Amino acid sequence: MSHANLLAPPSSIPPPTALSLSQKAPLILSSSPTSSLPWPLSLLFSRESPESWTIHENLLLSSLRTGDDKAARQILDRLTTRFGAANERVVALRGIYEEALATTPAELEKVFQGYEKILREDPTNLAVRKRRVAVLKSLGRPADAITALTVLLEHSPTDLEAWAELGELYAAQGLWSQAIFCLEEVLLVLPNAWSAHAQLATLYYLSTPSSLSTLSLSLRYFCRSIELNDSYLRGYYGLKLASQKLIPLLSDSTSVKRNNNPEEEEAGPPPKLATVKKLEELATSKLAEIVRQYGAGNKGWAGLDEAEVIAARALLDRDGKMER
Amino acid sequence: MAQPIVQTIHRDPALFWWILLPITVVMVLTGILRHYAMILLQTAPKKQTLPQIRQQRSLVRGINLRTNARVLPPASFQARKAFMVSAYQEGKFLADPEARGKPRPNPMSDPAAMEGMMGMMKGNMAMMVPQTLIMGWINAFFSGFVIMKLPFPLTPQFKSMLQSGVGTRDLDVRWVSSLSWYFLTLFGLQPVYNFILGSNNSATQSTQQMAANPGAGMMGPEQDPDKLFLSEAENLEVLEYRWVLEGVEDRLVAKFA
Repeated sequence: MSHANLLAPPSSIPPPTALSLSQKAPLILSSSPTSSLPWPLSLLFSRESPESWTIHENLLLSSLRTGDDKAARQILDRLTTRFGAANERVVALRGIYEEALATTPAELEKVFQGYEKILREDPTNLAVRKRRVAVLKSLGRPADAITALTVLLEHSPTDLEAWAELGELYAAQGLWSQAIFCLEEVLLVLPNAWSAHAQLATLYYLSTPSSLSTLSLSLRYFCRSIELNDSYLRGYYGLKLASQKLIPLLSDSTSVKRNNNPEEEEAGPPPKLATVKKLEELATSKLAEIVRQYGAGNKGWAGLDEAEVIAARALLDRDGKMER
Repeated sequence: MAQPIVQTIHRDPALFWWILLPITVVMVLTGILRHYAMILLQTAPKKQTLPQIRQQRSLVRGINLRTNARVLPPASFQARKAFMVSAYQEGKFLADPEARGKPRPNPMSDPAAMEGMMGMMKGNMAMMVPQTLIMGWINAFFSGFVIMKLPFPLTPQFKSMLQSGVGTRDLDVRWVSSLSWYFLTLFGLQPVYNFILGSNNSATQSTQQMAANPGAGMMGPEQDPDKLFLSEAENLEVLEYRWVLEGVEDRLVAKFA
Protein backbone atom coordinates (compact mmCIF):
# COMPACT_ATOMS: atom_id res chain seq x y z
CA MET A 1 0.00 0.00 0.00
CA SER A 2 1.35 3.40 -0.86
CA HIS A 3 2.48 5.54 2.02
CA ALA A 4 -0.40 7.50 3.54
CA ASN A 5 0.23 11.16 4.12
CA LEU A 6 -2.22 13.69 5.47
CA LEU A 7 -0.49 16.64 3.85
CA ALA A 8 -0.96 15.48 0.28
CA PRO A 9 -3.42 12.64 -0.01
CA PRO A 10 -3.58 11.11 -3.48
CA SER A 11 -6.69 12.02 -5.41
CA SER A 12 -8.18 8.57 -5.05
CA ILE A 13 -7.09 6.69 -1.98
CA PRO A 14 -8.00 3.04 -1.43
CA PRO A 15 -10.20 2.31 1.61
CA PRO A 16 -7.45 0.91 3.87
CA THR A 17 -5.38 4.07 3.39
CA ALA A 18 -8.37 6.26 4.15
CA LEU A 19 -8.97 4.25 7.30
CA SER A 20 -5.39 4.59 8.46
CA LEU A 21 -5.54 8.33 7.78
CA SER A 22 -8.74 8.83 9.71
CA GLN A 23 -7.36 6.86 12.64
CA LYS A 24 -4.96 9.72 13.20
CA ALA A 25 -7.90 11.94 14.12
CA PRO A 26 -7.78 11.54 17.94
CA LEU A 27 -4.11 12.42 18.00
CA ILE A 28 -4.57 15.58 15.92
CA LEU A 29 -7.74 16.59 17.70
CA SER A 30 -6.10 16.27 21.10
CA SER A 31 -3.74 19.18 20.42
CA SER A 32 -5.10 22.54 19.42
CA PRO A 33 -3.31 24.32 16.57
CA THR A 34 -4.25 27.75 17.89
CA SER A 35 -2.71 28.93 21.11
CA SER A 36 -4.88 29.42 24.18
CA LEU A 37 -2.71 32.23 25.54
CA PRO A 38 -3.94 35.87 25.50
CA TRP A 39 -3.42 37.96 22.41
CA PRO A 40 0.17 39.25 22.24
CA LEU A 41 1.60 36.02 23.60
CA SER A 42 -0.47 33.88 21.26
CA LEU A 43 1.31 35.53 18.32
CA LEU A 44 4.66 34.42 19.66
CA PHE A 45 3.85 30.90 20.82
CA SER A 46 1.43 29.60 18.20
CA ARG A 47 2.28 26.42 16.39
CA GLU A 48 -0.16 27.21 13.65
CA SER A 49 1.06 26.83 10.10
CA PRO A 50 -0.69 26.62 6.72
CA GLU A 51 0.05 22.90 6.77
CA SER A 52 -1.91 22.34 9.94
CA TRP A 53 -5.08 23.48 8.19
CA THR A 54 -4.40 21.34 5.13
CA ILE A 55 -4.09 18.41 7.51
CA HIS A 56 -7.40 19.31 9.11
CA GLU A 57 -9.13 19.51 5.75
CA ASN A 58 -7.83 16.14 4.57
CA LEU A 59 -8.59 14.56 7.92
CA LEU A 60 -12.16 15.79 7.63
CA LEU A 61 -12.55 14.10 4.26
CA SER A 62 -11.04 10.80 5.40
CA SER A 63 -13.04 10.64 8.59
CA LEU A 64 -16.24 11.28 6.67
CA ARG A 65 -15.27 8.46 4.36
CA THR A 66 -14.74 6.06 7.20
CA GLY A 67 -17.92 7.10 9.01
CA ASP A 68 -16.22 8.86 11.90
CA ASP A 69 -18.81 11.62 11.96
CA LYS A 70 -18.00 12.80 15.46
CA ALA A 71 -14.39 13.58 14.62
CA ALA A 72 -15.54 15.22 11.40
CA ARG A 73 -17.89 17.48 13.34
CA GLN A 74 -15.06 18.50 15.69
CA ILE A 75 -12.71 19.31 12.81
CA LEU A 76 -15.41 21.27 11.05
CA ASP A 77 -16.09 23.29 14.21
CA ARG A 78 -12.42 24.05 14.49
CA LEU A 79 -12.21 25.23 10.90
CA THR A 80 -15.31 27.35 11.40
CA THR A 81 -13.96 29.07 14.50
CA ARG A 82 -10.68 29.75 12.77
CA PHE A 83 -11.87 31.01 9.39
CA GLY A 84 -15.45 32.06 10.04
CA ALA A 85 -18.66 30.50 8.85
CA ALA A 86 -18.78 32.61 5.69
CA ASN A 87 -15.44 31.45 4.31
CA GLU A 88 -15.87 29.85 0.89
CA ARG A 89 -13.91 26.73 1.69
CA VAL A 90 -15.58 26.26 5.03
CA VAL A 91 -19.00 26.59 3.39
CA ALA A 92 -18.07 23.89 0.88
CA LEU A 93 -16.64 21.61 3.58
CA ARG A 94 -19.75 22.01 5.69
CA GLY A 95 -21.75 21.08 2.60
CA ILE A 96 -19.70 17.90 2.20
CA TYR A 97 -20.30 17.08 5.86
CA GLU A 98 -24.05 17.56 5.52
CA GLU A 99 -24.14 15.53 2.33
CA ALA A 100 -22.31 12.69 4.05
CA LEU A 101 -24.75 12.72 6.94
CA ALA A 102 -27.84 12.84 4.76
CA THR A 103 -29.36 9.38 4.59
CA THR A 104 -32.53 9.88 2.58
CA PRO A 105 -33.10 11.66 -0.73
CA ALA A 106 -35.29 14.15 1.12
CA GLU A 107 -32.39 15.19 3.33
CA LEU A 108 -30.14 15.51 0.31
CA GLU A 109 -32.79 17.66 -1.28
CA LYS A 110 -32.60 19.92 1.75
CA VAL A 111 -28.83 20.26 1.38
CA PHE A 112 -29.42 21.06 -2.26
CA GLN A 113 -31.85 23.85 -1.34
CA GLY A 114 -29.19 25.21 1.01
CA TYR A 115 -26.71 25.39 -1.87
CA GLU A 116 -29.25 27.16 -4.06
CA LYS A 117 -29.67 29.77 -1.35
CA ILE A 118 -25.91 30.31 -1.00
CA LEU A 119 -25.56 30.66 -4.76
CA ARG A 120 -28.36 33.22 -4.98
CA GLU A 121 -26.45 35.37 -2.51
CA ASP A 122 -23.00 34.84 -3.99
CA PRO A 123 -22.99 33.47 -7.54
CA THR A 124 -19.18 33.43 -7.66
CA ASN A 125 -18.77 30.65 -5.10
CA LEU A 126 -17.47 27.98 -7.47
CA ALA A 127 -16.80 25.43 -4.73
CA VAL A 128 -20.48 25.41 -3.77
CA ARG A 129 -21.43 25.17 -7.44
CA LYS A 130 -19.39 21.99 -7.67
CA ARG A 131 -20.98 20.59 -4.53
CA ARG A 132 -24.34 21.29 -6.12
CA VAL A 133 -23.35 19.18 -9.11
CA ALA A 134 -22.25 16.40 -6.76
CA VAL A 135 -25.63 16.43 -5.00
CA LEU A 136 -27.44 16.32 -8.33
CA LYS A 137 -25.33 13.33 -9.27
CA SER A 138 -26.07 11.46 -6.06
CA LEU A 139 -29.75 12.30 -6.42
CA GLY A 140 -29.63 10.44 -9.71
CA ARG A 141 -30.25 13.40 -11.99
CA PRO A 142 -27.29 13.27 -14.40
CA ALA A 143 -28.99 15.46 -17.00
CA ASP A 144 -29.38 18.28 -14.47
CA ALA A 145 -25.81 17.75 -13.30
CA ILE A 146 -24.61 18.13 -16.88
CA THR A 147 -26.56 21.36 -17.30
CA ALA A 148 -25.18 22.73 -14.05
CA LEU A 149 -21.65 21.84 -15.09
CA THR A 150 -22.00 23.46 -18.50
CA VAL A 151 -23.17 26.66 -16.80
CA LEU A 152 -20.18 26.49 -14.48
CA LEU A 153 -17.78 25.91 -17.35
CA GLU A 154 -19.30 28.72 -19.34
CA HIS A 155 -18.11 31.05 -16.61
CA SER A 156 -14.92 29.31 -15.64
CA PRO A 157 -13.65 27.54 -18.76
CA THR A 158 -10.26 26.60 -17.31
CA ASP A 159 -11.62 24.47 -14.49
CA LEU A 160 -9.90 21.12 -14.78
CA GLU A 161 -12.02 19.26 -12.24
CA ALA A 162 -15.23 20.38 -13.82
CA TRP A 163 -14.15 19.38 -17.33
CA ALA A 164 -13.08 15.93 -16.13
CA GLU A 165 -16.33 15.48 -14.22
CA LEU A 166 -18.40 16.58 -17.20
CA GLY A 167 -16.48 14.17 -19.41
CA GLU A 168 -17.29 11.35 -17.02
CA LEU A 169 -20.97 12.27 -16.95
CA TYR A 170 -21.19 12.42 -20.74
CA ALA A 171 -19.39 9.10 -21.03
CA ALA A 172 -21.85 7.53 -18.59
CA GLN A 173 -24.65 8.73 -20.87
CA GLY A 174 -22.90 7.31 -23.91
CA LEU A 175 -22.36 10.74 -25.48
CA TRP A 176 -18.85 9.92 -26.64
CA SER A 177 -17.98 12.91 -28.78
CA GLN A 178 -18.98 15.33 -26.02
CA ALA A 179 -16.97 13.35 -23.50
CA ILE A 180 -13.98 13.40 -25.86
CA PHE A 181 -14.29 17.16 -26.19
CA CYS A 182 -14.21 17.54 -22.39
CA LEU A 183 -11.16 15.35 -22.02
CA GLU A 184 -9.39 17.35 -24.72
CA GLU A 185 -10.01 20.46 -22.64
CA VAL A 186 -8.41 18.71 -19.68
CA LEU A 187 -5.39 17.96 -21.85
CA LEU A 188 -5.15 21.60 -22.90
CA VAL A 189 -4.66 22.57 -19.27
CA LEU A 190 -2.47 19.63 -18.32
CA PRO A 191 -0.72 18.61 -21.54
CA ASN A 192 1.48 15.97 -19.91
CA ALA A 193 -1.09 14.11 -17.84
CA TRP A 194 -0.68 10.48 -18.82
CA SER A 195 -3.85 9.47 -17.02
CA ALA A 196 -5.88 11.98 -19.03
CA HIS A 197 -4.30 10.67 -22.23
CA ALA A 198 -5.28 7.13 -21.26
CA GLN A 199 -8.79 8.26 -20.37
CA LEU A 200 -9.18 9.97 -23.74
CA ALA A 201 -7.89 6.85 -25.46
CA THR A 202 -10.42 4.76 -23.56
CA LEU A 203 -13.21 7.05 -24.71
CA TYR A 204 -12.11 6.72 -28.34
CA TYR A 205 -11.85 2.97 -27.88
CA LEU A 206 -15.36 2.73 -26.45
CA SER A 207 -17.01 5.20 -28.82
CA THR A 208 -16.94 3.32 -32.12
CA PRO A 209 -15.28 0.01 -31.53
CA SER A 210 -14.95 -1.03 -35.16
CA SER A 211 -13.85 2.15 -36.95
CA LEU A 212 -10.27 2.18 -38.12
CA SER A 213 -9.68 5.89 -37.54
CA THR A 214 -10.99 6.05 -33.97
CA LEU A 215 -9.13 2.88 -33.06
CA SER A 216 -5.89 4.26 -34.40
CA LEU A 217 -6.49 7.50 -32.50
CA SER A 218 -7.08 5.44 -29.38
CA LEU A 219 -3.90 3.49 -30.02
CA ARG A 220 -1.96 6.72 -30.45
CA TYR A 221 -3.25 8.21 -27.23
CA PHE A 222 -2.36 5.03 -25.35
CA CYS A 223 1.11 5.23 -26.92
CA ARG A 224 1.45 8.82 -25.80
CA SER A 225 0.49 7.98 -22.24
CA ILE A 226 3.11 5.24 -22.17
CA GLU A 227 5.62 7.62 -23.68
CA LEU A 228 4.94 9.99 -20.79
CA ASN A 229 5.08 7.28 -18.13
CA ASP A 230 6.67 4.03 -19.17
CA SER A 231 5.42 1.97 -16.25
CA TYR A 232 1.76 2.91 -16.56
CA LEU A 233 -0.27 -0.27 -16.27
CA ARG A 234 -3.48 1.16 -17.68
CA GLY A 235 -1.63 2.44 -20.74
CA TYR A 236 -0.25 -0.99 -21.55
CA TYR A 237 -3.57 -2.64 -20.89
CA GLY A 238 -5.34 -0.31 -23.29
CA LEU A 239 -2.55 -0.53 -25.83
CA LYS A 240 -2.92 -4.29 -25.90
CA LEU A 241 -6.69 -4.13 -26.33
CA ALA A 242 -6.56 -1.45 -29.01
CA SER A 243 -3.82 -3.14 -31.00
CA GLN A 244 -5.59 -6.49 -30.80
CA LYS A 245 -8.62 -4.90 -32.40
CA LEU A 246 -6.56 -3.02 -34.96
CA ILE A 247 -4.55 -5.95 -36.29
CA PRO A 248 -7.45 -7.73 -38.05
CA LEU A 249 -8.72 -4.41 -39.38
CA LEU A 250 -5.34 -3.51 -40.80
CA SER A 251 -4.65 -6.94 -42.27
CA ASP A 252 -7.97 -6.71 -44.05
CA SER A 253 -6.78 -4.54 -46.93
CA THR A 254 -10.25 -3.57 -48.15
CA SER A 255 -11.07 -1.74 -44.94
CA VAL A 256 -7.89 0.30 -45.23
CA LYS A 257 -8.79 1.40 -48.71
CA ARG A 258 -12.38 2.06 -47.79
CA ASN A 259 -11.25 4.65 -45.29
CA ASN A 260 -10.18 7.18 -47.82
CA ASN A 261 -12.96 9.64 -47.12
CA PRO A 262 -11.64 13.09 -46.12
CA GLU A 263 -13.15 13.19 -42.65
CA GLU A 264 -11.15 10.24 -41.45
CA GLU A 265 -7.93 11.36 -43.00
CA GLU A 266 -7.88 14.24 -40.54
CA ALA A 267 -6.48 11.95 -37.87
CA GLY A 268 -3.49 11.08 -40.01
CA PRO A 269 -2.79 7.87 -41.89
CA PRO A 270 -3.50 4.66 -39.98
CA PRO A 271 -0.48 3.08 -38.31
CA LYS A 272 1.48 0.39 -40.11
CA LEU A 273 0.58 -3.23 -39.45
CA ALA A 274 4.10 -4.21 -38.42
CA THR A 275 4.28 -1.38 -35.90
CA VAL A 276 0.96 -2.33 -34.33
CA LYS A 277 2.10 -5.94 -34.04
CA LYS A 278 5.28 -4.83 -32.34
CA LEU A 279 3.31 -2.63 -29.97
CA GLU A 280 1.05 -5.52 -29.10
CA GLU A 281 4.06 -7.67 -28.26
CA LEU A 282 5.54 -4.86 -26.23
CA ALA A 283 2.34 -4.38 -24.25
CA THR A 284 2.04 -8.11 -23.60
CA SER A 285 5.59 -8.44 -22.36
CA LYS A 286 5.32 -5.33 -20.18
CA LEU A 287 2.03 -6.48 -18.68
CA ALA A 288 3.52 -9.90 -17.97
CA GLU A 289 6.48 -8.26 -16.30
CA ILE A 290 4.28 -6.04 -14.15
CA VAL A 291 2.10 -8.96 -13.08
CA ARG A 292 5.17 -11.06 -12.28
CA GLN A 293 6.89 -8.32 -10.28
CA TYR A 294 3.73 -7.52 -8.37
CA GLY A 295 3.15 -11.19 -7.60
CA ALA A 296 6.70 -11.52 -6.32
CA GLY A 297 6.02 -8.68 -3.91
CA ASN A 298 8.82 -6.57 -5.32
CA LYS A 299 9.08 -3.31 -3.40
CA GLY A 300 9.20 -0.91 -6.32
CA TRP A 301 6.00 -2.31 -7.79
CA ALA A 302 3.95 -2.40 -4.61
CA GLY A 303 2.29 0.95 -5.34
CA LEU A 304 0.03 -0.53 -8.01
CA ASP A 305 -3.68 -0.93 -7.57
CA GLU A 306 -4.42 -4.58 -6.87
CA ALA A 307 -7.60 -4.62 -8.94
CA GLU A 308 -5.72 -3.31 -11.98
CA VAL A 309 -3.08 -6.03 -11.67
CA ILE A 310 -5.76 -8.71 -11.39
CA ALA A 311 -7.44 -7.34 -14.50
CA ALA A 312 -4.13 -7.39 -16.35
CA ARG A 313 -3.53 -10.97 -15.30
CA ALA A 314 -7.00 -11.95 -16.49
CA LEU A 315 -6.36 -10.29 -19.84
CA LEU A 316 -3.09 -12.17 -20.26
CA ASP A 317 -4.71 -15.48 -19.27
CA ARG A 318 -7.54 -15.00 -21.72
CA ASP A 319 -5.03 -14.21 -24.41
CA GLY A 320 -2.97 -17.27 -23.61
CA LYS A 321 -6.03 -19.52 -23.92
CA MET A 322 -6.90 -18.15 -27.32
CA GLU A 323 -3.43 -18.84 -28.63
CA ARG A 324 -3.43 -22.39 -27.32
CA MET B 1 55.51 57.78 5.80
CA ALA B 2 56.13 54.09 6.18
CA GLN B 3 53.41 53.28 8.64
CA PRO B 4 50.02 54.95 8.55
CA ILE B 5 49.23 56.45 11.87
CA VAL B 6 46.50 54.58 13.66
CA GLN B 7 43.92 56.97 14.92
CA THR B 8 42.68 56.29 18.39
CA ILE B 9 39.66 57.97 19.87
CA HIS B 10 38.82 57.34 23.43
CA ARG B 11 35.14 56.65 23.50
CA ASP B 12 32.98 56.48 26.52
CA PRO B 13 31.88 52.82 26.89
CA ALA B 14 28.45 54.13 27.76
CA LEU B 15 28.09 55.11 24.07
CA PHE B 16 27.51 51.46 23.28
CA TRP B 17 24.77 51.05 25.85
CA TRP B 18 23.04 54.39 25.32
CA ILE B 19 23.28 54.93 21.57
CA LEU B 20 24.27 51.89 19.53
CA LEU B 21 22.00 49.45 21.28
CA PRO B 22 18.93 51.74 21.52
CA ILE B 23 19.09 52.62 17.82
CA THR B 24 19.33 48.97 16.84
CA VAL B 25 16.53 47.86 19.14
CA VAL B 26 14.26 50.69 18.04
CA MET B 27 14.87 49.88 14.39
CA VAL B 28 14.07 46.19 14.85
CA LEU B 29 10.95 46.95 16.84
CA THR B 30 9.74 49.50 14.26
CA GLY B 31 10.12 46.88 11.55
CA ILE B 32 8.06 44.37 13.49
CA LEU B 33 5.44 46.97 14.34
CA ARG B 34 5.24 48.03 10.70
CA HIS B 35 4.76 44.40 9.66
CA TYR B 36 1.73 44.05 11.91
CA ALA B 37 0.43 47.51 11.00
CA MET B 38 0.55 46.53 7.33
CA ILE B 39 -1.46 43.41 8.06
CA LEU B 40 -4.09 45.51 9.78
CA LEU B 41 -4.14 48.14 7.02
CA GLN B 42 -4.51 45.64 4.23
CA THR B 43 -7.95 45.49 2.76
CA ALA B 44 -9.15 42.16 1.49
CA PRO B 45 -8.89 41.98 -2.30
CA LYS B 46 -12.14 42.90 -3.91
CA LYS B 47 -14.20 39.99 -5.12
CA GLN B 48 -14.56 39.63 -8.85
CA THR B 49 -18.00 39.40 -10.30
CA LEU B 50 -19.01 36.39 -12.35
CA PRO B 51 -18.62 38.10 -15.76
CA GLN B 52 -15.16 39.30 -14.76
CA ILE B 53 -14.11 35.78 -13.79
CA ARG B 54 -15.47 34.58 -17.11
CA GLN B 55 -13.58 37.25 -19.03
CA GLN B 56 -10.29 36.46 -17.36
CA ARG B 57 -10.56 32.68 -17.54
CA SER B 58 -11.67 32.76 -21.17
CA LEU B 59 -8.48 34.59 -21.98
CA VAL B 60 -6.49 31.99 -20.04
CA ARG B 61 -8.30 29.29 -22.00
CA GLY B 62 -7.14 30.85 -25.25
CA ILE B 63 -3.59 31.03 -23.95
CA ASN B 64 -3.79 27.40 -22.90
CA LEU B 65 -5.02 26.46 -26.35
CA ARG B 66 -2.12 28.32 -27.92
CA THR B 67 0.59 26.84 -25.70
CA ASN B 68 -0.72 23.27 -25.58
CA ALA B 69 -2.24 22.97 -29.05
CA ARG B 70 0.07 20.08 -29.83
CA VAL B 71 -1.99 17.60 -27.79
CA LEU B 72 -5.08 17.99 -29.99
CA PRO B 73 -5.79 16.11 -33.18
CA PRO B 74 -5.89 18.45 -36.21
CA ALA B 75 -9.66 18.45 -36.62
CA SER B 76 -10.46 19.40 -33.05
CA PHE B 77 -7.69 21.97 -32.98
CA GLN B 78 -9.02 23.72 -36.08
CA ALA B 79 -12.56 23.70 -34.69
CA ARG B 80 -11.44 25.19 -31.38
CA LYS B 81 -9.26 27.76 -33.08
CA ALA B 82 -12.07 28.93 -35.31
CA PHE B 83 -14.44 29.19 -32.37
CA MET B 84 -12.03 31.03 -30.09
CA VAL B 85 -10.86 33.47 -32.76
CA SER B 86 -14.37 34.45 -33.80
CA ALA B 87 -15.57 34.70 -30.20
CA TYR B 88 -12.60 36.85 -29.28
CA GLN B 89 -13.11 39.12 -32.27
CA GLU B 90 -16.78 39.54 -31.52
CA GLY B 91 -16.02 40.21 -27.86
CA LYS B 92 -18.25 37.42 -26.62
CA PHE B 93 -16.38 36.95 -23.38
CA LEU B 94 -16.21 40.61 -22.39
CA ALA B 95 -17.50 41.38 -18.93
CA ASP B 96 -18.85 44.70 -20.14
CA PRO B 97 -19.76 44.50 -23.84
CA GLU B 98 -21.10 48.05 -23.96
CA ALA B 99 -17.75 49.54 -23.03
CA ARG B 100 -16.17 47.99 -26.10
CA GLY B 101 -14.38 50.40 -28.36
CA LYS B 102 -14.84 53.29 -25.97
CA PRO B 103 -11.72 54.97 -24.63
CA ARG B 104 -10.55 53.95 -21.20
CA PRO B 105 -12.16 55.94 -18.40
CA ASN B 106 -9.95 58.10 -16.27
CA PRO B 107 -8.40 55.82 -13.63
CA MET B 108 -8.96 58.55 -11.05
CA SER B 109 -12.72 58.21 -11.44
CA ASP B 110 -12.71 54.44 -11.18
CA PRO B 111 -13.34 53.46 -7.55
CA ALA B 112 -11.55 50.12 -7.93
CA ALA B 113 -8.39 51.77 -9.21
CA MET B 114 -8.63 54.39 -6.47
CA GLU B 115 -8.70 51.63 -3.90
CA GLY B 116 -5.52 50.14 -5.24
CA MET B 117 -3.83 53.51 -5.10
CA MET B 118 -5.03 54.03 -1.57
CA GLY B 119 -3.46 50.73 -0.62
CA MET B 120 -0.14 51.84 -2.04
CA MET B 121 -0.45 55.19 -0.28
CA LYS B 122 -1.05 53.46 3.02
CA GLY B 123 2.01 51.31 2.53
CA ASN B 124 4.15 54.29 1.74
CA MET B 125 2.80 56.22 4.71
CA ALA B 126 3.52 53.33 7.05
CA MET B 127 7.08 53.47 5.76
CA MET B 128 7.58 57.25 5.72
CA VAL B 129 6.09 58.34 9.02
CA PRO B 130 8.18 56.18 11.36
CA GLN B 131 11.31 56.82 9.28
CA THR B 132 10.87 60.58 9.62
CA LEU B 133 10.21 60.34 13.33
CA ILE B 134 13.19 58.09 14.04
CA MET B 135 15.52 60.18 11.96
CA GLY B 136 14.38 63.29 13.78
CA TRP B 137 14.90 61.55 17.09
CA ILE B 138 18.42 60.50 16.18
CA ASN B 139 19.31 63.94 14.85
CA ALA B 140 18.01 65.61 17.98
CA PHE B 141 19.73 63.40 20.54
CA PHE B 142 22.64 61.58 19.00
CA SER B 143 23.94 63.76 16.17
CA GLY B 144 27.67 63.97 15.87
CA PHE B 145 28.53 60.94 17.98
CA VAL B 146 31.11 58.50 16.75
CA ILE B 147 29.84 55.29 18.18
CA MET B 148 31.86 52.39 16.84
CA LYS B 149 34.91 51.32 14.91
CA LEU B 150 34.70 48.73 12.20
CA PRO B 151 37.21 45.90 12.63
CA PHE B 152 38.34 46.09 8.98
CA PRO B 153 39.80 48.86 6.80
CA LEU B 154 37.78 50.58 4.08
CA THR B 155 38.47 52.90 1.17
CA PRO B 156 37.66 56.62 1.53
CA GLN B 157 34.58 56.28 -0.74
CA PHE B 158 32.66 54.92 2.23
CA LYS B 159 33.24 58.12 4.18
CA SER B 160 29.95 59.70 3.17
CA MET B 161 28.11 56.49 3.96
CA LEU B 162 29.61 55.81 7.36
CA GLN B 163 30.21 59.26 8.75
CA SER B 164 27.18 61.34 7.87
CA GLY B 165 26.58 63.94 10.51
CA VAL B 166 30.24 64.15 11.49
CA GLY B 167 32.04 66.96 9.70
CA THR B 168 35.61 65.86 10.24
CA ARG B 169 37.71 65.46 7.11
CA ASP B 170 40.67 63.55 8.51
CA LEU B 171 38.78 60.99 10.50
CA ASP B 172 39.55 57.39 9.48
CA VAL B 173 36.77 55.75 7.46
CA ARG B 174 36.45 52.96 9.98
CA TRP B 175 34.69 55.17 12.49
CA VAL B 176 30.90 55.05 12.21
CA SER B 177 28.64 57.88 13.25
CA SER B 178 25.24 57.43 14.88
CA LEU B 179 23.25 58.71 11.90
CA SER B 180 25.10 56.31 9.60
CA TRP B 181 24.38 53.46 11.95
CA TYR B 182 20.74 54.34 11.57
CA PHE B 183 20.97 54.11 7.77
CA LEU B 184 22.88 50.85 7.94
CA THR B 185 20.21 49.28 10.13
CA LEU B 186 17.47 50.74 7.95
CA PHE B 187 18.71 48.92 4.87
CA GLY B 188 20.42 45.93 6.43
CA LEU B 189 17.82 44.47 8.78
CA GLN B 190 15.93 42.39 6.21
CA PRO B 191 17.60 39.09 7.25
CA VAL B 192 16.78 39.83 10.87
CA TYR B 193 13.13 40.38 9.99
CA ASN B 194 13.15 37.21 7.93
CA PHE B 195 14.38 35.39 10.98
CA ILE B 196 11.79 36.88 13.32
CA LEU B 197 8.73 37.26 11.11
CA GLY B 198 9.13 34.63 8.42
CA SER B 199 10.16 35.12 4.84
CA ASN B 200 7.26 37.09 3.37
CA ASN B 201 7.03 39.86 5.88
CA SER B 202 6.23 43.44 5.03
CA ALA B 203 8.70 45.06 7.39
CA THR B 204 10.74 46.86 4.75
CA GLN B 205 9.91 48.85 1.70
CA SER B 206 11.21 46.48 -0.97
CA THR B 207 8.96 43.54 -0.20
CA GLN B 208 6.09 45.91 0.45
CA GLN B 209 6.19 47.35 -3.04
CA MET B 210 6.17 43.96 -4.65
CA ALA B 211 3.14 42.94 -2.64
CA ALA B 212 1.31 46.12 -3.64
CA ASN B 213 0.19 44.89 -7.05
CA PRO B 214 0.20 41.13 -7.40
CA GLY B 215 -0.46 39.74 -10.83
CA ALA B 216 -0.92 43.12 -12.43
CA GLY B 217 0.74 41.86 -15.59
CA MET B 218 -1.99 39.42 -16.53
CA MET B 219 -5.05 41.57 -16.65
CA GLY B 220 -4.51 44.57 -14.51
CA PRO B 221 -7.09 47.30 -14.32
CA GLU B 222 -4.97 49.45 -16.59
CA GLN B 223 -5.31 47.12 -19.59
CA ASP B 224 -8.22 47.02 -21.96
CA PRO B 225 -9.57 43.44 -22.03
CA ASP B 226 -10.85 43.87 -25.56
CA LYS B 227 -7.35 44.64 -26.82
CA LEU B 228 -6.00 41.61 -24.98
CA PHE B 229 -8.63 39.40 -26.61
CA LEU B 230 -7.89 40.78 -30.08
CA SER B 231 -4.17 40.23 -29.73
CA GLU B 232 -4.76 36.72 -28.45
CA ALA B 233 -6.97 36.02 -31.45
CA GLU B 234 -4.14 37.17 -33.68
CA ASN B 235 -1.68 34.95 -31.82
CA LEU B 236 -3.96 31.98 -32.31
CA GLU B 237 -4.33 32.66 -36.01
CA VAL B 238 -0.62 32.71 -36.71
CA LEU B 239 0.10 29.71 -34.52
CA GLU B 240 2.29 27.08 -36.09
CA TYR B 241 0.56 23.81 -35.28
CA ARG B 242 2.12 20.39 -34.97
CA TRP B 243 0.43 17.32 -33.57
CA VAL B 244 2.52 15.56 -30.95
CA LEU B 245 0.77 12.25 -31.54
CA GLU B 246 1.95 12.04 -35.12
CA GLY B 247 4.22 9.04 -35.39
CA VAL B 248 4.02 8.34 -31.68
CA GLU B 249 3.70 4.62 -32.31
CA ASP B 250 6.97 4.57 -34.24
CA ARG B 251 8.67 6.58 -31.51
CA LEU B 252 7.48 4.12 -28.90
CA VAL B 253 8.65 1.11 -30.89
CA ALA B 254 12.03 2.76 -31.39
CA LYS B 255 12.26 3.56 -27.70
CA PHE B 256 11.70 0.00 -26.55
CA ALA B 257 13.48 -1.73 -29.42
